Amino acid sequence: MDFGVIDLDEETVAFWAEVRAFCQTHVTKEVLDEEFETGSGFNEGLHKALGARGWILPTWPRQEGGAGATPLQAAILDAELRAAHAPLITLGTTRNVLPAVLRWGTDELKKAVVPGVASGDVRFCLGYTEPDSGSDIAAAKTRAVRDGDEWVIDGQKMFTTGAQNCQYSFLLTRTNPEAPKHKGLTMFLCPLEQAEIRPIRTLGGERTNMVFYDAIRVPDRYRLGPVDQGWMVLLGPLNAEHAMPEDTDSAPPIDQPGGMYGYSAVEGLEVALAWARSADPDGRRPIDDPLVRERLAQAALDIEVATVSTGPAGRVISSEMAIRVAEDLMDLVGPRALLPRGEDAAIGEGWLEYLHRFAQGTATYGGTTDIFRNIIAERFLGLPRQAPRAG
Amino acid sequence: MAEPISAPILRRADYRLSEEEQALAEAFSAFFERSCPSERVRAAEPWGFDAALWAELAPMRPVAMGLPESLGGDGAGLVELVLVTEPFGRSVAPVPLVEAAVAARLLAAVATAAPGGPADAWVNQVIDEHKVVTLALQPGGGPQLVPAGAVADAVVGLLGDELVLGVCPAERAARRPRNHGFAPIAWCDLSDPECSFRPLWSGPSARAAFERAVREWKLLMASALIGMAQATLDIGVEHARSRVAFGAPIGSFQAVSHALADVAMAVETGRRLVRKGAWYAAHEPDEDVHRVLMAYRYATQTAMTAATVGVHVLGGVGFTVESDPQLYFRRVKGWTLVAGDPKAALSDIADALFGPVAIAK
Repeated sequence: MDFGVIDLDEETVAFWAEVRAFCQTHVTKEVLDEEFETGSGFNEGLHKALGARGWILPTWPRQEGGAGATPLQAAILDAELRAAHAPLITLGTTRNVLPAVLRWGTDELKKAVVPGVASGDVRFCLGYTEPDSGSDIAAAKTRAVRDGDEWVIDGQKMFTTGAQNCQYSFLLTRTNPEAPKHKGLTMFLCPLEQAEIRPIRTLGGERTNMVFYDAIRVPDRYRLGPVDQGWMVLLGPLNAEHAMPEDTDSAPPIDQPGGMYGYSAVEGLEVALAWARSADPDGRRPIDDPLVRERLAQAALDIEVATVSTGPAGRVISSEMAIRVAEDLMDLVGPRALLPRGEDAAIGEGWLEYLHRFAQGTATYGGTTDIFRNIIAERFLGLPRQAPRAG
Repeated sequence: MAEPISAPILRRADYRLSEEEQALAEAFSAFFERSCPSERVRAAEPWGFDAALWAELAPMRPVAMGLPESLGGDGAGLVELVLVTEPFGRSVAPVPLVEAAVAARLLAAVATAAPGGPADAWVNQVIDEHKVVTLALQPGGGPQLVPAGAVADAVVGLLGDELVLGVCPAERAARRPRNHGFAPIAWCDLSDPECSFRPLWSGPSARAAFERAVREWKLLMASALIGMAQATLDIGVEHARSRVAFGAPIGSFQAVSHALADVAMAVETGRRLVRKGAWYAAHEPDEDVHRVLMAYRYATQTAMTAATVGVHVLGGVGFTVESDPQLYFRRVKGWTLVAGDPKAALSDIADALFGPVAIAK
């Protein structure tokens, strides 16, 4: 057990300064305004600037396009970028898919895409969800049929966030409709040039997409792993997304306020605290009201609980915490909390208004909180698998 | 090149136990599992004390371990003690472990800072004779319900700015009330002339030491509560695996499994919150106040929810006195409410985090 202050060596302090300077230069007001406008989760200039420093894959050696950073430095980089609200959704999906490409891709494919990932020219999105299957990932119907050295892919994906920013989708297809659900799937790193991308806007302000694959032809070299064994290929990135223990053991050993989804709630509490500490014309401050203090203390407690939570539980706790805290802090602040970013009288640049909408999505994407409760019940508590009642 | 900046504060988040800590936790788990099955908990009802069990536990030095080596203790700290009180809570053993450990540490603080008073001899009696000293959790005079008051050899409390220690006449112990948690609580009044309270230490340091002792009680109890929640979770899970209804084990129904999953998440997270609080209390005691109170508040909530779910998942049987979850249901509240409304911790957390309330002009 150790929660002590980490002694940072000179090199790490210098790295940290470099990251801060980078954020000031590259995560500008223009970048943030654009992100609030488009919800794209990506900014090409920023992404390439990260690539130029080797910060897309910071712990990789320099000769392979990384920065040779220590895990601690990489954690500092991520924390600073997050604190600056840098739009990084597409960076996240790219990093998430890369291990599967390295593990299952042919040398030819790796040679073609990996240097581009490091430089920022090549990005990946997740092509799992379909109109008829979300949490039930393995029910995917998008077909891939072999035709000589090529595959013909037909189907539609939903909520392919960042597709408009990416060159490839980590695509889940059905290659054997006769086989049991999990046994007839094949994964591709599918080029997106031929796919049709249509935008979807979310309550949280994000942009995501429908992606139509209309008999597009994909050479076999884009296949990842054996035919019909796509479930095995998918599990690595999926487990990482689900924060399963083998992944969290290697997580940065630093205290991250708010946990997986909670950073935005930390900022929400700061906004509410600043409001509570400001005096009205009669000199009265909300923070001197015992009821206000208890509400703020409860928010601080919720955030600390999310901070210490980990793994699949951390995903549920931090998401539900953010939903609860955002909703309650909006109520606490009152009518002015309704004003969004850009309105003159908005509190904290409309952060609570945004957070209240944004937080709701965290309980759904990446697998709903209900799915995570199933994971905890079945894999951690050893309860029998939930099954639909017959008859 | 970037401008040099002052190094920001970055903290570790390492929840792993050392080998010694792991061994300690396992030793006490093994003891309570072996020596205190639920039959023994029931046998001690309604008064909640098993003197033979306290004697069996004594060689493991659960109280002496938390005292400084200079006074004959083992020099362990709060990190070790929460590892002891978690398995204690898991078995809801009818022994006054939390009170005794905390009051002994308070006496040791007095004996160290202000030697020469009655605290010195009491520390020796606690270590050598396994005497039980308890803590009156509410400061000031007037009747209050004191945890383990019915079985303690002495009571320590705060009267004004003075730490006092008293030994009540034996017939006082007979005035123990029946209570919800089958706990050995008893009425005690620090200003009661019959109880011969003697001053131990006075002034702001004495008050601060008392307040720290109350927080330590909440911390060790928080860990016990996590143990209690774990125990009810385990019982619920076991039942949900084997009980069949509508042709399937009830644990396959999400109405049941998700309730248990919620408890599992809270238990694991609460355990981490307790350990983090203990680490701060042991290593950075100026930073610990809100963390300990957060751990206590979250643990009371978690244990109560776990007990409610445990009773409910077992169905009608869960509601009978033969069921084990009800043992925990009673004790979650029965062991904690003597410290006052657990939700009041929020007000103290606010004071610690946001500073005091401005006085209106």
